[in-house]
Amino acid sequence: MASVRDRNASAWLLPAGPGGNHALRNDMRHFEDDDEVDIVIIGCGAGGSTLLQRLARAGWRAVALDAGPFWDPEKDWVSDEAGSHHLYWTEPRVISGKDPVPLGSNNSGRGVGGSMVHYAGYTPRFHPSDFQTLSQDGVGADWPLAYHELKPFYEDIEGELPVAGERWPWGDPHSYPHRPHPVSGNGELFLRGALATGITAKVGPVAISNGRFGNRPHCIYRGFCLQGCKVNAKASPLITHIPDAMDHGAEVRPDSMVTRVAVDDATGRATGVHYFRHGQERFQRASMVAVAGYSIETPRLLLNSVSKHFPDGLCNNFDQVGRYLMVQGAPQTAGRFESEVRMWKAPPPEVSSEQFYETDPTKPYKRGFSIQTVSPLPITWAEHVTAQGHWGAGLRKYMSDYVHWACLGALCEFLPLAGNRVTLSGEKDRRGMPVANFSYSQCENDGQLMTAAQSAMEKILHAAGADEVITIQRYAHLVGGARMASGERSGVVDADCRSFAVPNLLITDGSVLPTQGSANPALTIMALTARAAEKLIARTPQRSR
Amino acid sequence: MTALPLQPASGGGRFPGFSTASQARHWDEATAAVVIARLGLPQDLRYFTPVEEAAARALFDQLLDQREDPRVPIVNMVDARLAEDQTDGWHYDGMKPDGESWRASLSALDEDAFSRHGVSFCQVHWDAQTAILTNIQDAAQWHEFSGAHIWSLWTRYACTAFYSHPAAWDEIGFAGPAYPRGYKNLGLDSREPFEVADVRPQQDPLRPQFAPGAEEED
Ligand SMILES: Cc1cc2nc3c(=O)[nH]c(=O)nc-3n(C[C@H](O)[C@H](O)[C@H](O)COP(=O)(O)OP(=O)(O)OC[C@H]3O[C@@H](n4cnc5c(N)ncnc54)[C@H](O)[C@@H]3O)c2cc1C
Ligand code: SF4
Repeated sequence: MASVRDRNASAWLLPAGPGGNHALRNDMRHFEDDDEVDIVIIGCGAGGSTLLQRLARAGWRAVALDAGPFWDPEKDWVSDEAGSHHLYWTEPRVISGKDPVPLGSNNSGRGVGGSMVHYAGYTPRFHPSDFQTLSQDGVGADWPLAYHELKPFYEDIEGELPVAGERWPWGDPHSYPHRPHPVSGNGELFLRGALATGITAKVGPVAISNGRFGNRPHCIYRGFCLQGCKVNAKASPLITHIPDAMDHGAEVRPDSMVTRVAVDDATGRATGVHYFRHGQERFQRASMVAVAGYSIETPRLLLNSVSKHFPDGLCNNFDQVGRYLMVQGAPQTAGRFESEVRMWKAPPPEVSSEQFYETDPTKPYKRGFSIQTVSPLPITWAEHVTAQGHWGAGLRKYMSDYVHWACLGALCEFLPLAGNRVTLSGEKDRRGMPVANFSYSQCENDGQLMTAAQSAMEKILHAAGADEVITIQRYAHLVGGARMASGERSGVVDADCRSFAVPNLLITDGSVLPTQGSANPALTIMALTARAAEKLIARTPQRSR
Repeated sequence: MTALPLQPASGGGRFPGFSTASQARHWDEATAAVVIARLGLPQDLRYFTPVEEAAARALFDQLLDQREDPRVPIVNMVDARLAEDQTDGWHYDGMKPDGESWRASLSALDEDAFSRHGVSFCQVHWDAQTAILTNIQDAAQWHEFSGAHIWSLWTRYACTAFYSHPAAWDEIGFAGPAYPRGYKNLGLDSREPFEVADVRPQQDPLRPQFAPGAEEED
């Protein structure tokens, strides 16, 4: 394995101290709409940025379009909850189904860096069993790909973010490039409660460098990871992959919302993308297109891209687009301690346990859940309190006790169901593009996992000394919606993220995941994309550049 | 702003003398600009009609138990968000986009008040307002809305505004912005030099003597 700097020099291209590298941005290459670029990538998040960096390194003429801004963390981000509203995807979306899933701040980002700009920063791997849940446990789906095929890419990305944590005993046991961070009161209580109940909990894995890494500064434990890390300590593609991509001649074009992928009626090949920039409708020509807009926007874009070959939406000849969308059930249980916890200090991601990740044959449900520290800031904490039915005087009184609470969150592996999907609603956005309607309904297994996870967290918190506990039902991490499969009747792309329907169209984001485990998805999205990029480069004849 | 009025029995005065805003000189410029603006003169109303404004004021006073000045100017903060269409990016199927749902629900509140008490919601006595709201919170259906969905809309906007205000942070002991300084003292019962300890750590809201609930009088 080449040293990190030899394969991705982003951390060394950043200025020492906080801030972006404005020189790189000023000198960035620009392509014309009429240039037929080697590839146009839609979305500059976890998947899109990784692909851009890998292809630019291989000499491809690549441009990535993102609907949101090219952030300057010093100026654009604030150390404040309400002031971070612009980090989220807040264009209209409709939610429906038996268990509708609220979106916005809780689920998706915009702009260069994508949702990882405001993700918490947990970066666990999936377990080997995640790739075969159907054959092993009779639920979910089998991937057209095995864990060991992804493993080298996990290792690469863990080096590039980089990831800090204790040696990991679960799934395929492994260690991390950076040592674990010190923990705050919240992490301390999780470790104490876990020890007392015989549950194994470990510090990490978080994509926050611990120690020297290029020019990236050390974490200052300010706790605003979900508001964008102004310090540049927490990894997001904006600092881990975009600088190296630009340095290798890639263009990042912000404020560019793609509304349709164009397909040649004669050949059935993609020819480029229609997009809006500064109010004008434009068309970028490209010999290959990659869609990486997140699990809601990717299906929405495909469904909106109708043509002679694809009257029901691009790649949708077998009615697969938008289906099998998943969220993780993410109940959060908080415990009340006589001590002051002040859980907002330090990064919310600190300690986790994957002890309940796998199917337990003694339980009535299949698959499992993980448990992690979460540390809601005041506005989010008020949501916990109002969810208990409190308001008015009761709410104020409850909130005044904030310093005494510690909070854990679980991630429950909800199963992929065909009916959980994105469709186009009758409502339109300001450009006239139909907005996504995202419908979600849980199955019985899902509900059982939520209950089991809640009682495990209650047990841990009580064992740590909590006198009271409260739980809020939430959801996290959308994946799926254009899943990979062994054939076109059961999915949209193959193991290399190539669409079955269009020879020169890739999908490289969270939408390709067939199952989700109870791991946070960003690392897996990046690893899958790095693998897809390697395959793509290997099978593409040398480009003329 | 001086401390928000809140009786000790309701959780007031647990962090005597604590002031996040007193630390503003340690905040980065971008953050300070955003937070300090909340302490200044609130923006003029642009979205709500006067009738809606009156209902919204009464609703927010109830939801956040703001019975007297100084108050956090919730109505101005929510009005600004709606005027700028700064939504959460989603709405329930069958429910209108946020701005329209706000208008419709405020006028539904007035309707309830007229039919029960013959006056608009803002003119109804405090306890009677509380009773109207308690019904809605528990209702499967309230006018065109699901009770839970409209309650979620109201409390989300109200709490986002209130708990973004430094005066509310002072009340709950939250230290506010922390960049570029960061935190040095992590761990249980550890505080930064400028943080203030809770003087009533026994005031657990879930213990019977401090049982929560908007209905109870202090
Ligand atoms: C609060 C929160 C906490 C999280 N915590 C964690 C965590 O701890 N660990 C973890 O692994 N994951 C976490 N996640 C999830 C993680 O961030 C996402 O799963 C991941 O970033 C998704 O990657 P993606 O490539 O699919 O999409 P994204 O990273 O969201 O990137 C999609 C990009 O595409 C752009 N885009 C969309 N549509 C268009 C279009 N039509 N035209 C142009 N551009 C478009 C968007 O602006 C966006 O920048 C968290 C998410 C949130 C919201
Ligand atoms: S806690 Fe560390 S990683 Fe998180 S935002 Fe602060 S400096 Fe960045």
